[in-house]
Amino acid sequence: MELNLSLGTAAPAEVYDTIIIGGGPAGLSAALYTARASRKTLVIDMHPGAGALGMTERIDNYPGVPEPISGRELLDRFREQALKFGAEIVQSQVVTTDLRSDPKQVITADNVFQGRTVIIASGAMGRTPSIAGEAALIGRGVSYCATCDAPFFRGKDVAVVGHSEMMADELPTIANFAAKVYLIPHGKLSPESKEIVTQHPQVVYLEGARVVKILGDDFVTGVEVKLANETAVYPVSGVFMYLTGNRPVLDYLDGSVQTTEKGCIAVNMQDGATQIPGVFAAGDVTCTPVRQVVVAAAQGTLAALAADRYLRKTGRSGSTSPESVDSASGL
Amino acid sequence: MLINEADRQKLTELFSKELNTPVRVLVFTVDVNDVSNGNSDCMYCKETVQLATEVGELSDKITVEVYDLYKDRDTAEEYGISRAPAIAIVGARDYGIRFYGIPAGYEFTAFVSALINVSKGVSGLSLNNIKRLGRIDKPVHIQVFVTPTCPYCAPAVQLAHKIALASDFIRADMVEAQEFPELATHYGVYGVPRTVINEDYHIEGAVPEDTFVLHVLAAAGKITKEQAALAGLV
Repeated sequence: MELNLSLGTAAPAEVYDTIIIGGGPAGLSAALYTARASRKTLVIDMHPGAGALGMTERIDNYPGVPEPISGRELLDRFREQALKFGAEIVQSQVVTTDLRSDPKQVITADNVFQGRTVIIASGAMGRTPSIAGEAALIGRGVSYCATCDAPFFRGKDVAVVGHSEMMADELPTIANFAAKVYLIPHGKLSPESKEIVTQHPQVVYLEGARVVKILGDDFVTGVEVKLANETAVYPVSGVFMYLTGNRPVLDYLDGSVQTTEKGCIAVNMQDGATQIPGVFAAGDVTCTPVRQVVVAAAQGTLAALAADRYLRKTGRSGSTSPESVDSASGL
Repeated sequence: MLINEADRQKLTELFSKELNTPVRVLVFTVDVNDVSNGNSDCMYCKETVQLATEVGELSDKITVEVYDLYKDRDTAEEYGISRAPAIAIVGARDYGIRFYGIPAGYEFTAFVSALINVSKGVSGLSLNNIKRLGRIDKPVHIQVFVTPTCPYCAPAVQLAHKIALASDFIRADMVEAQEFPELATHYGVYGVPRTVINEDYHIEGAVPEDTFVLHVLAAAGKITKEQAALAGLV
């Protein structure tokens, strides 16, 4: 029997100079700068293809990259450059944080990371339940976590809604348990995702379909689906949701960081500082008026410079080399 | 061995630093070959005993006691245990911290944390929340339903156990939903973590400490519906 024991938050953790939450252009740019200055840097990335850039098919206007490039490929270059300078990148989801403690704690599903500074760059792909019936049936058949909840649907029919890479990653887990899986994409599946679908004969791919309503009183009983101009009802016991939106992803912060009326992290736009000393934010999570890759990268850089200044000012560094970001960057 | 060598070393070091006073780990199991007890179906009894035993080998401050749910009925009743596998973690006194089902996967974190917190006899909750929980004056039973592969569940279990540590009136159980399907069905568990407080009060998903404590107060009737609404609980 494989128990997959996780020591998680119980295990002692080393202390990073900077922990960056989010592996998009803001987070990876920040990592490039702090790592280049020999600051011990960790990037926690939920999924390389989960963010806005990772899902962008084509970029034509990133300075210095004249040829058309996919968002994923550009992101790979950001990542490669950050790794080259010594940043560590882990793929995991941040569950909660304690940003007031010393050192600050960033807790993921399977670990606790400690950092002297934290840069929040988790993007703005969040959403609130918006499909009719969705909010009322959370935990009653509506699920956002296949690894958590798929076992409850052993031998039952379920729907999977969305076309993201995360959906494709978790589809096999769902298919392992469910009798039949209706895949309702709300968009276009990538060739890689299509390949995964074909490997699971119990998956029924409803190309071009969208869910308009999740049905059920106490528990999910079905989904109402629009396909072309027709509406059909599919009886299912569970619905796994993988849709994205445009709200800042802040749920793991538990309200600890001050936000604006629009639900964005409130920052000093000069350096990304939040109201908590040593905590900075960058990119779409700050609701910058212009959502462009180059702007997110610039904000990540400003946050990295500010984090470095904070570390020098407080004399708190676990780095082996004291070289600063400013000197390393030539600024 | 269920715990690999690297984790054994980490845990040995952790326990030597963090365990203050002795902790008893009471494991309740059933003999799956004994048909006379009417409960020969115990999915992970053997592994739960083995896991607890291996953890017990890592510190002389941890004592593992294995009981048969039926043959040691008095002890089971003393600790309010009616199902197996179950683990009660007891320190200077019994804080009401229980694990129903094997604490494997992500729940192993909650198991280790419970050992440390019970040994210290300190909840680790904020002073404000400890003060709030001081208003509880009647028994409260918290059950957190989990699956071992749920990343959000262990924090919810840890929080529930800390809340139990902070109040003499509160007991908190981790319940592994797949090992106790009848309980999962009874409480309508189709997603985890799902927390049931005093039978009819539910929390869906993992919530922050302040919110969890307010839910406990609401379930115990210590805040009004209006206050609960103001706190965003309903």
